[in-house]
Amino acid sequence: MSAETSEPVIQVNNLSKVYRDFWGRKKVRAVNSLTLDVKKGEVFGLLGPNGSGKTTTIKMLLGLLFPTEGEIKILGQNASDVRKNERIGYLPEESYLYRFLNADETLDFYGRLFNLPAKVRKQRTDELLSLVKVEHARRRQLKEYSKGMTRRIGLAQALINDPDLILLDEPTSGLDPLGNRDMKDLILKLKGMGKTILMCSHLLADVQDVCDRIAILYGGELKVLGRVDELLKQKGATQITAPTLTPEAIAEVEAVLKKHGVNQVQVDNPRSDLEDLFLRTVQESREHPGRRIAP
Amino acid sequence: MSFDPVAFSLWPAVLVWLQVVGVSLALALVVGFGGAVASHGFRGFGVAFGEIVAGFRDLFSLSLGRIYALAKLTFLEAIRRKALLVFVVFAILFMFAGWFITDTGQKAALQVKVHVIFVTWTLSTLSLVVVMLLACWGIPEDIRVRSIHTVVTKPARRLEIVLGRILGFSGIATVVLAVMASVGYVWLNRQVPPESQSELTCRRPIYGAISFLDRTGDPAKFGINVGDTWMFRSYIEGSSKARAIWNFPGVSASSLDADENLQLESRFQAFRSHKGTMDRQLLYRFEFVNPEKELRVPYKLMEVAEFIGSTETVPRKIRPDGGVKEYDLINDLVDSKGNLQVEVSCVDPGQYLGMARPDLFIRTPDAPFLAGYFKSVVGIWLMLLLVVILGVSASTFVKGPVATLLTFCIVVIGQVFRELLDKVAKGTQEGGGLFESIYRLIAHMNPTTPVPDGLATQVMKTVDRGLENLLWVFRQILPDFSYFNMAPYIANGFDVPFDAAVLPSIVVVMAYFIPCVIIAYYSLRLRELEAK
Ligand SMILES: Nc1ncnc2c1ncn2[C@@H]1O[C@H](COP(=O)(O)OP(=O)(O)OP(=O)(O)O)[C@@H](O)[C@H]1O
Ligand SMILES: [Mg+2]
Repeated sequence: MSAETSEPVIQVNNLSKVYRDFWGRKKVRAVNSLTLDVKKGEVFGLLGPNGSGKTTTIKMLLGLLFPTEGEIKILGQNASDVRKNERIGYLPEESYLYRFLNADETLDFYGRLFNLPAKVRKQRTDELLSLVKVEHARRRQLKEYSKGMTRRIGLAQALINDPDLILLDEPTSGLDPLGNRDMKDLILKLKGMGKTILMCSHLLADVQDVCDRIAILYGGELKVLGRVDELLKQKGATQITAPTLTPEAIAEVEAVLKKHGVNQVQVDNPRSDLEDLFLRTVQESREHPGRRIAP
Repeated sequence: MSFDPVAFSLWPAVLVWLQVVGVSLALALVVGFGGAVASHGFRGFGVAFGEIVAGFRDLFSLSLGRIYALAKLTFLEAIRRKALLVFVVFAILFMFAGWFITDTGQKAALQVKVHVIFVTWTLSTLSLVVVMLLACWGIPEDIRVRSIHTVVTKPARRLEIVLGRILGFSGIATVVLAVMASVGYVWLNRQVPPESQSELTCRRPIYGAISFLDRTGDPAKFGINVGDTWMFRSYIEGSSKARAIWNFPGVSASSLDADENLQLESRFQAFRSHKGTMDRQLLYRFEFVNPEKELRVPYKLMEVAEFIGSTETVPRKIRPDGGVKEYDLINDLVDSKGNLQVEVSCVDPGQYLGMARPDLFIRTPDAPFLAGYFKSVVGIWLMLLLVVILGVSASTFVKGPVATLLTFCIVVIGQVFRELLDKVAKGTQEGGGLFESIYRLIAHMNPTTPVPDGLATQVMKTVDRGLENLLWVFRQILPDFSYFNMAPYIANGFDVPFDAAVLPSIVVVMAYFIPCVIIAYYSLRLRELEAK
């Protein structure tokens, strides 16, 4: 089943958020007229420079923040409807956990919030702790944890209810390279289980690896939205990738292309394409505020 | 002893509560719908209505499991954050207090009083401080460090968060209080000198209704005022037809002690208009009256024991003044409805005997001190519950320090200034309302001279009346903390009456629980849980 045809899990329509101060004065417009949807079973990446409104968007989806304008449907319900949470897992940007609890107690606590029976809670706690690899520290209070360890518990916490929709706000921040790798594998595994994942991240290589579709925000506005493979396929250009060629070989290839009327040939070493797209998007957005770049 | 316990009447209180809560709800609805329409336009009606529906939905989908989880979290948090260090303070206070307050030179009742007041004061103050701080800081901290984000993105309802918090803090209050009260009890039993221990008891009085006959024998509402500014007691004249008549309800054989005697305890005052007989106190007499059988049985002459009080052991069989006829107190003198009427007269001519309603009571067999002590601890516990409810609710819309201040003010006003508030709100405080008293201050005018008439006075008084009405509203809304203080009963050797102290305390807590939870729920629901 291809992602395009299946039903949307998240529908966002013309969403805006203005932060106001205590007196109701406007501080920042963090999200501006955002429209997108996330379909069932896909991994959706939300990209953008710092302060571009990714976290704000996710918080609005969860009902933590109230939109200034626009509508949200998530799992067919309103963002403010608490019943949707039964099927959602959320990993916050930083691990906002209860630091006086230990890992076992933490997962037990969150399990109880889903009214999971004691046996299931025990079983899931064991499974998740071994999944995120903090079993050895399960009886220590979280305040003694390192940043990456807390992050791992945060992830375990998000998966305690075996959710259908998982919102990950910078899941790899603070993780070591191994943890990073594990996280990527885990996301792909979850995708394989038919879950929908919305994540934001600054690690573009990872995003390119795991995401089906991405959106790039800049200054709260949607600049780019589409399938990763299509976005990276440059219109009006064909890319040929080969092991590093000798200058003679390159000259020969150029000659062949010339014969077919192609005059502008660009030859260099390959670089991460998403990085390219990202930098280009940011650059263009800075130069032409308010312009949508793709599609 | 000066307190005059009056049984709490539940239904009128419930009616007033329904009125106040009803009016507030109506106001809240108007404001809510108005606000929604103002900010969302016509669609606002739907939004506001949706919130109400959601409230009911959350109410009916409450999960005990989740409330328990949140309560346990709250409990663990307080313990792991070392909130229980309060016990150390408590222990130190108790270790040293003995040196200062035990004074064997005093009479027994006073020694007991000092010790009991110290223990109950320490208990309530320390636990109040701990519980208030915890309750007022819990939710704001949760919001500040954003750990609440991981809770509200689970199926936990905001109502469950409020209830879980209240339950958790109540659990702490219970533990703190139980430990301290147990220590306090042991300390009392060891610290009160052995010869005064007999006063560590719980009298169980049957109080009657009092009425008077004046010197000509006509019914009167009060006796004579002998010039006391304190109008608590009124006086009957000796050797006249003046009587104080008590009607004790619910008297039966079970009101008698083990030896079938009726204990009548009295604390009358004497007022002498002349020296009289110097070698004895004033004389008075009881007369047992059964109007149904038209029986009047006089009892022997007794001397007034001023300031100490006396307990008269009246035998069940009374033979008045050496007569032959013998009367049975219960069978002959108590009427068919279980009432016993006792008339008191003063014998010395030209002297006066002062009395108030609680000055004569039937002392049924005492309960152990522990019974009264336990109830007064329950009183403190109920107060802590109310503080938790108020603190948690306040902390849903303001930050920790403000919530603490707010709760503290409510406690102080409810405990200390309530009487003043009463008087000002009813306009019976001498010197008038705010502006009038300011005027009097500036004009160096004493509070009883009337203010000169004129337009300015009219304006001033009108504004003051407006303020009085505002105060009246406050008075209706702010809780009355005086019920929770049950220490005076046990400090004076009395049991804590259920109907005059425990019942109203429970009712007060219940009365605030419901509206506070509604407020807390909606303020958590309608705000963004983002640290600002
Ligand atoms: N609570 C808040 N009050 C006021 N402004 C806020 C608040 N939270 C975020 N903002 C502002 O909203 C904008 C978007 O912030 P947001 O946290 O959504 O960015 P982000 O895309 O998640 O950035 P990052 O990559 O750094 O996590 C920023 O300008 C930020 O300053
Ligand atoms: Mg962010």
